[in-house]
Amino acid sequence: MREELLKTNFLEGTLVKSFTIPLSALTRSATHARYSLLKEKSIQTVFFSTAFFAVIVVTFILLFLVRDGYPVFTQVGILDFLFGPDWAPTASEPLYGIFPLIVGTLLVTLGAMVFAVPLSIGCAIYIAELASPRAKSILKPAIELLAGIPSVVYGFFGLIVLTNFIRVAFDLPTGETWLAASVLLGIMALPTIVSVSEDAISSVPHEFREGSLAIGATRWQTISRVLVPAALSGIAAAIILGIGRAIGETMAVMMVAGNAAIVPDPVWNILSPLRTLTGTLGIEMGEVAVGSDHYHALFGVAIVLLVITLGINLAAVAILRYLNEGRVASAAKKPFFSARTRARILFAAGTLGFSLLLLILTAAPPYLAALVLFGGGGWYMVRPFIPENRVQQIAFVFIGLATLIVLAILIIILQDIVINGLPALSWEFLTTSPLDSGRAGGIFPAIIGTLDLVVGAIAIALPLGVGAAVYLVEYTQEGRMTQVIRTGVDLLNGTPSIVFGLFGFAFIVLYLGIGVSMLAGQITLALMVLPTVIRTTEESLKSIPMALREGSLALGATRWQTISRVVIPPALPGILTGAILSIGRAAGETAPIMFTAVVFSSRFLPDSVLDPVMALPYHLFILATNVPGSSMNKYGTALVLLLLVVSFYAVAIAARTHFQNKMRG
Amino acid sequence: MSGDGIISTTDLNLWYREKHALQSVSMRIPKNKVTALIGPSGCGKSTLLRCFNRLNDLIDHVKITGKITFDDHEIHAPGTDVVLLRKKIGMVFQKPNPFPKSIYENVSYGPRVHGVRDRETLDRIVEESLRHAALWDEVKDRISDSALGLSGGQQQRLCIARTLAVGPEVILMDEPCSALDPIATAKIENLIEKLREEYTVIIVTHNMQQAARVSDYTGFMYLGKLIECGKTVQIFEHPAEELTENYITGRFG
Ligand SMILES: Nc1ncnc2c1ncn2[C@@H]1O[C@H](COP(=O)(O)OP(=O)(O)OP(=O)(O)O)[C@@H](O)[C@H]1O
Ligand SMILES: [Mg+2]
Repeated sequence: MREELLKTNFLEGTLVKSFTIPLSALTRSATHARYSLLKEKSIQTVFFSTAFFAVIVVTFILLFLVRDGYPVFTQVGILDFLFGPDWAPTASEPLYGIFPLIVGTLLVTLGAMVFAVPLSIGCAIYIAELASPRAKSILKPAIELLAGIPSVVYGFFGLIVLTNFIRVAFDLPTGETWLAASVLLGIMALPTIVSVSEDAISSVPHEFREGSLAIGATRWQTISRVLVPAALSGIAAAIILGIGRAIGETMAVMMVAGNAAIVPDPVWNILSPLRTLTGTLGIEMGEVAVGSDHYHALFGVAIVLLVITLGINLAAVAILRYLNEGRVASAAKKPFFSARTRARILFAAGTLGFSLLLLILTAAPPYLAALVLFGGGGWYMVRPFIPENRVQQIAFVFIGLATLIVLAILIIILQDIVINGLPALSWEFLTTSPLDSGRAGGIFPAIIGTLDLVVGAIAIALPLGVGAAVYLVEYTQEGRMTQVIRTGVDLLNGTPSIVFGLFGFAFIVLYLGIGVSMLAGQITLALMVLPTVIRTTEESLKSIPMALREGSLALGATRWQTISRVVIPPALPGILTGAILSIGRAAGETAPIMFTAVVFSSRFLPDSVLDPVMALPYHLFILATNVPGSSMNKYGTALVLLLLVVSFYAVAIAARTHFQNKMRG
Repeated sequence: MSGDGIISTTDLNLWYREKHALQSVSMRIPKNKVTALIGPSGCGKSTLLRCFNRLNDLIDHVKITGKITFDDHEIHAPGTDVVLLRKKIGMVFQKPNPFPKSIYENVSYGPRVHGVRDRETLDRIVEESLRHAALWDEVKDRISDSALGLSGGQQQRLCIARTLAVGPEVILMDEPCSALDPIATAKIENLIEKLREEYTVIIVTHNMQQAARVSDYTGFMYLGKLIECGKTVQIFEHPAEELTENYITGRFG
């Protein structure tokens, strides 16, 4: 049988006698070889420069912040600046103590995490372990949608709906409080924490799951004792990223926190107003005299803010990278922390949770406190007597509840803005200029301005970002230089958007002398989205199998030929998805353009890139905070901005799903 | 080993970080013959093969000492044109790796990157390469279709055609049949049979019968060392080393 097979195949082969490839066409002269080597080298140099650009930008940001912030440290003194109890920069005897601002930032973030972490982890567990594929296919985009809502829209919603609710519920003169800021920031941090934790839980190896179920553990036992512990460091990183997001947020928090530069009294009084570092920058930067003490103090604030966020983000990045390495490098390096580390983490988390509980209990009405205490104590007592499947039921109810709450939040926000915004939408609203400080008329110049800004930003960021990613993925062996570049990108990624705004103002607007202009805004936004472009491009380049590159190189193709003809074409959808996401992000940002590019009201479109522009997010911000009345136009602006940003996200998500399916199918 | 050596290694050592993957390998690959590399999994066969076209350059933290010559040129000498080296030494991988392009574009890719622009020349190279790889009749009507639509065996022959299209002198094959069924395997073996007339072939295989069927010379590797190397008949019938005999007869462990 085998013999026969061989024979038929042999006969079937139709071999041309002599193989006549014109070898002359293929041999290379020495000069040609040298030329092509030179070409490769120059291409590599170009890519290196784009990658190194991120490092340069970080250096410049630090340089300019320090340059403009340094005087405050010498005049006020570092300790008095950091721990001075009073921030009163406009008093006749100005005081520059940022202690209340630091405390405000920490408290708001803490509150946000108390709100967001349980909901996020519940939701992440639901999506990773319990949801049907269909539910998953609804939930994941919903979470991404939540991430896509611009922060000024959150702020607007918080200002109109949330603070009002809090004012009524707690019978306060105003709802602009720590509580409002924390809830709002918590909502904004949700998507980050959910998606990173969900990733961590989903990527726990299947054997763990099966191993646990196979010895008769319930699903809940498997989740709580195997999966979550195995994913613990990923979840920790998710929370740290969420914290970074919350600390760096400006617009939303500034719109609902009340902004009194005080330490709440008593310190757990969540109904007190407070003020954050970012909020201070957002409020005061626009009105300060350049070069004054106050100006330098604000840059000092930015330095402190940057140091805090960078520390947090580097920690998260280190954890994530450690995890990823562990996963590929060796199977022996389990994703678990050692028992001792885990005990320590749990202890820290427990202590923190307990003190928070106390804190909330003191603030809450006594009957609620009693309920929680007795409930908790009672549960602890009866827990051993409840059958495992009942425990599982209870746990799943809570997990389901968390997921429902997250969905409900999304729906409440969307429906409020859509229902109130729809009546404002009209052809006229979209195509005419604003009248009477935006109370009447339309938002045409703002729409065009926003489009101008994002198109310019992406035109700058895309080549730089793609170039950097190509260098990092295709050209380098991991070494010191890539370390430096990656750290630069990570730092850039962790920089709060308001700090980009300050940098843009100090460097582009003033130092380069470009002035408040469309161009300055485009550059600032470009720097802000650069890390996103680099990240997503890197991801999609890495997803191209090594075998394709080897196949091409083994044929004698050069590196650049391999990259441009074999690697980039299939990676293109991923790269474009990243670009669209960046556009969406840039379109919704307010803080980076607030001092660099925008004017509130302009009847005309800009003539050149050196003119200032109107922009939707800024327009909404001013309408919401500075222009009484005009409720319909506010909602209309919010809706248009939301639709614009969400449509970018929707396109990106749809494109990604489409190409993922195509890859698999 | 007799015959003209086209590739030879002298005291070749290779480390992946601390892992000493090739240990003092010295061998000569005779020209226009088929040489098989056999040995248990992880003994360094692929690593050795990838040294010949310097594909290990792509991997981080690899250190190589010793000498490899191709046509009397030392391939690690500074100023070596790696691109030209890889053009002359083609490679077929374990898993077929066609580019996500059409069949035609896959085969014409090599000549194109080497500067052939003329459409007629390209057409001729594509057809001849595909005929040579015994694939032409199966694909001639769908030459513009995506290569990913071909069967595994067809994809592997396409990869061979792609390699032939740049006119190599040596073809490295790393377990080219391991992902294929017996019929497709037989086709590839036939192909190797024909290729030996014009090319030097080095093939890694886990299949003893295959090594015995297709090769003129055989090298046996074990734990990073080349244990024995010689005429296939001799290695299979009168191995000098006990290790080789045990491996070939399946008494191993
Ligand atoms: N990129 C790499 N990094 C680190 N170690 C490697 C790498 N590639 C191979 N090795 C190690 O080098 C040794 C030789 O690997 P190689 O792939 O050459 O073996 P092989 O003989 O081809 O095995 P197989 O028959 O399974 O293909 C193995 O121990 C392997 O684990
Ligand atoms: Mg191998």
